[in-house]
Amino acid sequence: MTNAAPATTATIAARAVMASKIYGQGDNEVRALDGISVEFAQSRFTAIMGPSGSGKSTLLHCLAGLDRVTSGQVFLGDVEISACTEKQLTLIRRDRIGFVFQAYNLIPTLNAEENITLPMALAGHKPDRAWFDNVVDAVHLRDRLSHRPSELSGGQQQRVAVARALVSRPDLIFADEPTGNLDSRSGAEILTFMRQAVTDLQQTIVMVTHDPGAASYADRVVFLADGKIVDEMQDPTAERVLDRMKSFGD
Amino acid sequence: MFRLTWKGLLAHKVRFALTAFAVMIGVSFLVGTNVLTDTIRRTFDDLFADINEGTDAFVRSRDEIDSQFGPQRDRIPANLLPEIRRIDGVREAQGSLFFYAQLVDRDGDAIGNPGQGDPTFGGNWTPEGLLNPWQLVRYEGAASRPPRTADEVVVDKSSADKGALLVGEKVRVLTQAAPKEYTLVGVVRFGDVDSPGGASASIFTTSESQRITAAPDAFDSIAVANGDGVSQAEMVRRVEAAIGHPKQYEVLTGAEITKENQDEIARAMSFFTIGLSIFAYVALFVAVFLIFNTFSIVVAQRLRELALLRAIGASGRQVCWSVLGEAVMVGLLASAAGVLGGVVVAGVLKALFAGFGMELPSQGLVVAPDVVVLGLIVGTLITTVSAVFPARRAARVPPIAVMRDVAIERAGHRLGWTVAGVVLTAFGVAVLLYGLLGSPKNGIAYVGFGALVLFIGVAVLGPTLACPVGRLLGWPLARLRGITGELARENSVRNPRRTSLTAAALMIGVALVGFITIFASSTKESISVAVDRVFRADYVITTHGGGFGGGFSPDLAEEVDALPEIQTASGLRFNVFEIDGSSKFFASSDPVGIDELFDVDPIAGDFATLGVNQLAISQKVADAKGWKVGDELPVRFPVGNKGTMTVGAIYGTGQQEGLSDYFISLAAYDSRYNEHLDNQVYARLRPGVTPEEGKRAIEPVVKRYPNAELQDQAEYKQAQEAQINQFVNLVYLMLALAVIIAGIGIANTLALSIYERTRELGLLRAVGMSRAQLRSTVRWEAVIIALFGTGLGLVIGLFFGWAVVEALKSEGITEFAPPGFQLIVVVAIALVVATIAAIFPARRASRLDVLQAIQTQ
Repeated sequence: MTNAAPATTATIAARAVMASKIYGQGDNEVRALDGISVEFAQSRFTAIMGPSGSGKSTLLHCLAGLDRVTSGQVFLGDVEISACTEKQLTLIRRDRIGFVFQAYNLIPTLNAEENITLPMALAGHKPDRAWFDNVVDAVHLRDRLSHRPSELSGGQQQRVAVARALVSRPDLIFADEPTGNLDSRSGAEILTFMRQAVTDLQQTIVMVTHDPGAASYADRVVFLADGKIVDEMQDPTAERVLDRMKSFGD
Repeated sequence: MFRLTWKGLLAHKVRFALTAFAVMIGVSFLVGTNVLTDTIRRTFDDLFADINEGTDAFVRSRDEIDSQFGPQRDRIPANLLPEIRRIDGVREAQGSLFFYAQLVDRDGDAIGNPGQGDPTFGGNWTPEGLLNPWQLVRYEGAASRPPRTADEVVVDKSSADKGALLVGEKVRVLTQAAPKEYTLVGVVRFGDVDSPGGASASIFTTSESQRITAAPDAFDSIAVANGDGVSQAEMVRRVEAAIGHPKQYEVLTGAEITKENQDEIARAMSFFTIGLSIFAYVALFVAVFLIFNTFSIVVAQRLRELALLRAIGASGRQVCWSVLGEAVMVGLLASAAGVLGGVVVAGVLKALFAGFGMELPSQGLVVAPDVVVLGLIVGTLITTVSAVFPARRAARVPPIAVMRDVAIERAGHRLGWTVAGVVLTAFGVAVLLYGLLGSPKNGIAYVGFGALVLFIGVAVLGPTLACPVGRLLGWPLARLRGITGELARENSVRNPRRTSLTAAALMIGVALVGFITIFASSTKESISVAVDRVFRADYVITTHGGGFGGGFSPDLAEEVDALPEIQTASGLRFNVFEIDGSSKFFASSDPVGIDELFDVDPIAGDFATLGVNQLAISQKVADAKGWKVGDELPVRFPVGNKGTMTVGAIYGTGQQEGLSDYFISLAAYDSRYNEHLDNQVYARLRPGVTPEEGKRAIEPVVKRYPNAELQDQAEYKQAQEAQINQFVNLVYLMLALAVIIAGIGIANTLALSIYERTRELGLLRAVGMSRAQLRSTVRWEAVIIALFGTGLGLVIGLFFGWAVVEALKSEGITEFAPPGFQLIVVVAIALVVATIAAIFPARRASRLDVLQAIQTQ
């Protein structure tokens, strides 16, 4: 069941090989990741689930170049990011990865448009205007572009964050509980956009969530427990995910 | 609550350390200044106590003219001495003379320079006994003896050391009489020291002293030593009874004359102390902004914690006191460190002053308990008072805030504050202008108070200005530096109050630096304009380093005048007399041929024929007082004191135009002052003589007067400018304190802001901002804050400069000349300070752990 992913037909966007992350030493040693090997195919929407402390966020952070594995390797496409310098990681994050966090996703001093184009501005690139318009219209932010984050609702703020992740056409978007702070309607909106981005725009998304409803938008769910991959599921539904989660006793 | 206070302090060590450092610098300087002046005063107190040790009664002339350089007094007749010696109970009585004398070493260089340091004086030798403070010593193996003939001199050991003089050799001494060679017959020490307070002393026989001073039958004073069993007061009574003329002579006890001498020094020193203390208080004033800002930010950042305290039952008063308690502790610790630092500062200042050519005599440092207490109180008080507003705000935090996600930033600014800022600023400007231009009593106090209110007014107005001005200043940055510039600009205006308080500290420093720069440049320009307008002379001979200390024998002017290459030469003197009841500066020169040397712009009467009992006045004075040629005016001089002088001429070149409002002839001067020294000599070449020929002719004459320096017009201007520059550099050095504290303020604000923005910075790093970009954002934010403060400071500095120049128009500061280049340098320095201040916060921001930062709540 573990090798059911159609890896043979699709290009791999990111993968971890025997990745371990160990905090502390001796008796205090905590294995957040315990020799994980996993692949994420391009143009697919993958959800990572697991109980608290299962290592799902750590896996995401290591894949995204925000954190380093203690041993093993992490690849983004062909690049081994576990071997990159801090400087290279910064550039990779800027140019090849998009982020959506749970909250505080935006820079309060910049307006919505500036927040969306921030990674490109940091790179000194001009945004592709047609693509920018495409994305902005997709997330329905056209009339909110000149607003500051404090003038936007929580849902609108997250849509700005998603737009920022999409606009630079990254190889991969990492989303860490993107709907955790939203009401269910706004949450559903965001997840629909993410789903569309994968289906219509061939974007690749990896999302950490503990909400089975959110996971049901994904193509595939990877289940983690105690730093190991314990299961995965193709074309999940909320009920099936919930059933699987119950078996963790969480 | 004390435990809480203490814990709060420990938890925020770094931010309070910076605050404490600012207070410490200010206190150090304040204490250092006082320690230094106490030390110098102690030296002089001891000196005068030594000089007057044997004196029980002291006789001198009662008449005096008070001037900025101390009182000037008439002499008393020498025949009083035998009368006094006959008084019952007098053990010894000696007359003394005190006059200008400049020693010259073997190479023809002056020993000591009264223009810049300790005085060089001459005196008469009195027989060794109770009243002679000098002790003859063996010097370089040779025995010393007192001067016995008119060609012999004794000098102090310190001068002998400086000039490498040997007993038996010939030394030249410059006095108001012609330069003369004397045989050095002895070297003396003054009590335990080589020389009194570092001064250079030449001691002659009494009759030679009287010849030099052209006072054959006179003394400056007579000192009396009592026999056993007679009190000082009793002796004063006996002397008064014996010499009579109580209106003419004044008899003091030894204790009184000692006290008077010490008080005179204390008064002179108090200008020095006040002058230096002003800079210390400026630094502390700047620190107030820093402390206020730090406590405000810390309180804002701790809103939840404070609300929790309230929620679990602490009263508003307790919360308020916990914040004030922190302030008191920071203040006390910082002040204590400041007092220790002050002793170091005193030592450094002493060395610095020596470096600037003002050598201060002293033995070890005097640290008086009251100075320590002053430092502790001022430092603690300033810290505590600065924290009162933030503490009150802390007390008003509602307990419910613990539940709410309280916005840390408090943007916006109430209209009331803007109005208050405008009113305060206008009031400050009005008071300052009144103090300068309304010529009230204590004008300087009005000026100081007005400046203070103006600074506070602009600081209150600051938050209103911060947003638009910050955006404007940041505009080119956002265009040129892209997103980092844009972020820097937006960060700098996101909390206008914080930005403006931080900038206000720098504003004060820049305003004062700007003012001094503008004032100095205006003064230089005014001198240059006056020289161009007034000078007709080709050459000026001045004392080395300028200033009013010392001068030349009138022989110098005569020798130069006698040269065939010279058309006219004359000495010029400046002094003070009393006219119409008030003390005024006047110039004195040879009225014959004066139009060859100066453009005096004669208007009425005849300048050239001014007699001994005539004076000339400027048109301005004539207009103001309604005086005209032929009027008799009441005047007082030290010699021949009361009387009248007739207005003989009215001329246009007054003080404002570059000369002086009053003028008397040299002959009139000689008959009314004891000391006949020219401050400057002016010379004009005969037509057809080239400047080179003229210079070659004058130089050998000037060479014989080692304290004289020959300058043409351009060199004279340069020398004047150099003197101003020296003063200005000293002021810059003092103001650097305020600028450094302002820099600390910027660093502190940035550090605290970064702490608040941890999550945001983490996000920026996560989405791909490089460390270098983050550092540059912080740096540019500092630059915008600094530019804001510098801009405000320059505007205020320009206003101060303009107002002061306007006020001093009648004193000859006629040109308002803000120097473009130097003001650009001021801006550049402020930017450098900001960049340096940003180094540490920027590094901290860029080293944030991205993962931790984005997970911060």
